[in-house]
Amino acid sequence: MNPTDPTAPMTTDAPLVPSGASGPPAAPASVTGVFVRLKLSLLRNGLRQSGGRRAAYVASAVVVLLFAALQLIGLIALRGHAHVASLVVLLAAVLGLGWAVMPLFFPGGDETLDPTRLVMLPLRPRPLVRALLTSSLVGIGPLFTLCMFAGSVAAVAHGGAAYAVGVVGAVLALLVCVTLARAVAAANVRLLTSRKGRDLAVLSGLVVAVGAQLVNFGAQRLGSSGLEQLDPAAGVLRWVPPASAVGAMDAAGDGAYGTALAQLTLTAAALVLLLWVWARHLTRLMTTPDGSTVQGDTRPVRERGPSGLARLLPAGRTGTTMERTLRYVWRDPKTKAAWVTSLAIGLIVPVFNAWQGTGSVYFACFAAGMLGIQMYNQFGQDTSAFWMVALTISSTRDAYVELRARALALLLITLPYATLVTVLTTAMLDDWPALPETLGLSFALLGAMLATGAWTSARFPYSIPQEGYKNVAPGQVGLAWISIFGGMVGAALLCAPVIALTVWLNVSRGAAGLGWLLLPVGTVYGAALTLLGLRLAAPRTAARLPEILTAVSRG
Amino acid sequence: MVSDSAVRVRGLWKRFGQQIAVGGIDLDLPAGKFIGLVGPNGAGKTTTLSMVTGLLRPDQGSVEVVGHDVWQDPVEVKARIGVLPEGLRLFERLSGRELLAYTGRLRGLPGAEVDKRATQLLDVLDLTGAQHKLVVDYSTGMRKKIGLAAALLHNPEVLFLDEPFEGVDPVSAQTIRGVLERYTASGATVVFSSHVMELVESLCDWVAVLAAGRIRATGTLAEVRGEAPSLQQAFLELVGAGGRDAGSDLDWLGGGSR
Repeated sequence: MNPTDPTAPMTTDAPLVPSGASGPPAAPASVTGVFVRLKLSLLRNGLRQSGGRRAAYVASAVVVLLFAALQLIGLIALRGHAHVASLVVLLAAVLGLGWAVMPLFFPGGDETLDPTRLVMLPLRPRPLVRALLTSSLVGIGPLFTLCMFAGSVAAVAHGGAAYAVGVVGAVLALLVCVTLARAVAAANVRLLTSRKGRDLAVLSGLVVAVGAQLVNFGAQRLGSSGLEQLDPAAGVLRWVPPASAVGAMDAAGDGAYGTALAQLTLTAAALVLLLWVWARHLTRLMTTPDGSTVQGDTRPVRERGPSGLARLLPAGRTGTTMERTLRYVWRDPKTKAAWVTSLAIGLIVPVFNAWQGTGSVYFACFAAGMLGIQMYNQFGQDTSAFWMVALTISSTRDAYVELRARALALLLITLPYATLVTVLTTAMLDDWPALPETLGLSFALLGAMLATGAWTSARFPYSIPQEGYKNVAPGQVGLAWISIFGGMVGAALLCAPVIALTVWLNVSRGAAGLGWLLLPVGTVYGAALTLLGLRLAAPRTAARLPEILTAVSRG
Repeated sequence: MVSDSAVRVRGLWKRFGQQIAVGGIDLDLPAGKFIGLVGPNGAGKTTTLSMVTGLLRPDQGSVEVVGHDVWQDPVEVKARIGVLPEGLRLFERLSGRELLAYTGRLRGLPGAEVDKRATQLLDVLDLTGAQHKLVVDYSTGMRKKIGLAAALLHNPEVLFLDEPFEGVDPVSAQTIRGVLERYTASGATVVFSSHVMELVESLCDWVAVLAAGRIRATGTLAEVRGEAPSLQQAFLELVGAGGRDAGSDLDWLGGGSR
């Protein structure tokens, strides 16, 4: 063993060279060892900072490990199931995807992830890559991943050769996952340390929210129709690293050693390629000025005159406010995240339920309800920039026009969307006679949400912190609850007449065939509610401008 | 104009919990002057300016701007003032030009006029190159300049600027200065807060000294300066920090020996 070889394991009998006067002054500690210790110190120091943080870390570690143990047991229990191979291949692919996107969403998660911090140190790329890779293997994430792959081995391996392939495959797959995350991070360090990167991180919450819904429905579907659903997808994914390593385990279990070898080789090749990509990016990062000294992204936003839509908007405050509101839906990460979540969940719930045959056409109202939430806390969405609005509102009329413009901007998106979702749900359930009344209910609900949203915006405004994942400033959680849940209950109550009418038209024998009446009734009722809500909210807004500004300026 | 005062403040109070931020201010700011509101950190400058501009509700007291009560008659007041607050955001996800277009139209100016004025302001404030960049990517100096442009867009009679030179590089500071001097030369009033005395001394005709939520002195620069050699010295005397000399305790500091 060569003591200067940085890969040499740190054993107790490490100094093979006698530590005599003639020998080199104690062999320099291997870079890898230093990095692993650095990682451990960072973890430890992070925990030392505060009790809350320690508790959160320990709790999340326990949950993750419990989850890992559960899935391990689950996979062992599934051993011998006809389609378990497809399941584990798919799991490996999802895990790989998770590792690939994780650095984009949680750039601040790992300080050793940012190699530009090491720029001043005299390090060569190869030992550095080796050291960083090893230290990346320390942590809960890799442990969880390893548990997952161990479970996969237990689930699909049959026979000694298969276990041998399984062990190699699991290690390879883990290395591919970790290297993938590192390569993606290194390739995107510029992005991740810029404002755009932070914006992206804010959007990660919605990926989690929407992803959870999709996984939920996927799991339900699997539960009802069996694992064989997975086979076609798994057939392809078993040739895509890191899932190919799991494919190899399965192939070895079936005695297809040629296939197993090919899949292992493919995984190894992917690892080598990723390492090469990572090392290249690392070298470039370490030899060019870092993000803090070069100008950030100075590209201007695309030069657009008044776009087609803006030209169609009315002049004056109405059009101006609408244009700004719509721009913020697209450009402000918090607003965008809220919108995308609402749009996605408003679509997923009715459509997926319909797809599974468990839905009702009335679920389509979910879209209107979810989108109506965007009217809530209008001024909180402005942050403290609300002063620019406050300085131009000098009468109840101004406040009314401002609120109406915001509601109109929302309607521009929500009205067609709610209609689309309702029509889609109806089509999937083939319940066309119910379309008019469902549309009527949707519009009534939307109107009620806009009305209560406008009123609570004026009465219970709260700050939305611009950094991090929180959507309510500390100390204002109660206010936010009153605003949103009080408002939603209020909206439901306001809709009660239309709901009652729907029920009556459906149960009363004499009223059969009059369901279409609900479309005009619901539409007019919703519009009337919105106008009333705006009328009531406007004087409150105009009278409470300084109070609203104070409430939305925290955090 | 109804009176000679651009701003008339009577008995203005503001408490935040136990702390008295502004403790009974009476103030008459003359029209057509370049007015400096000076005071140490925490003196109540921002609180006072927020209440004067209608962004914060006072506990007590009245404020009149060009003869109109800020709280009774907001229509008249809001159309006549321009504000650049400190510590509040702008609509930062708009580009500089979009922000001006938005502000001007919200103020009720015709679109074409807004765009014309915006072009000129961007040009004078040296922001033309960055006009299509999002304000969130602007530097501190650029933010102050675009904020100033937004405050000037509707040609207000009185301009309130809270720390307009804080964190601003010398080049941008000179630009801002030039614009403000041109603006006051036309008879408009500028009220700005600062704790940099040299700046106030070189810019202002009229000064109000604020400390611990109260007015300590008002008047022309010469009146406030009095016998003192500089405004800085006069200011230190006024806020009661004049006698503090960091000399004798640190007699070992410097001089080469250890």
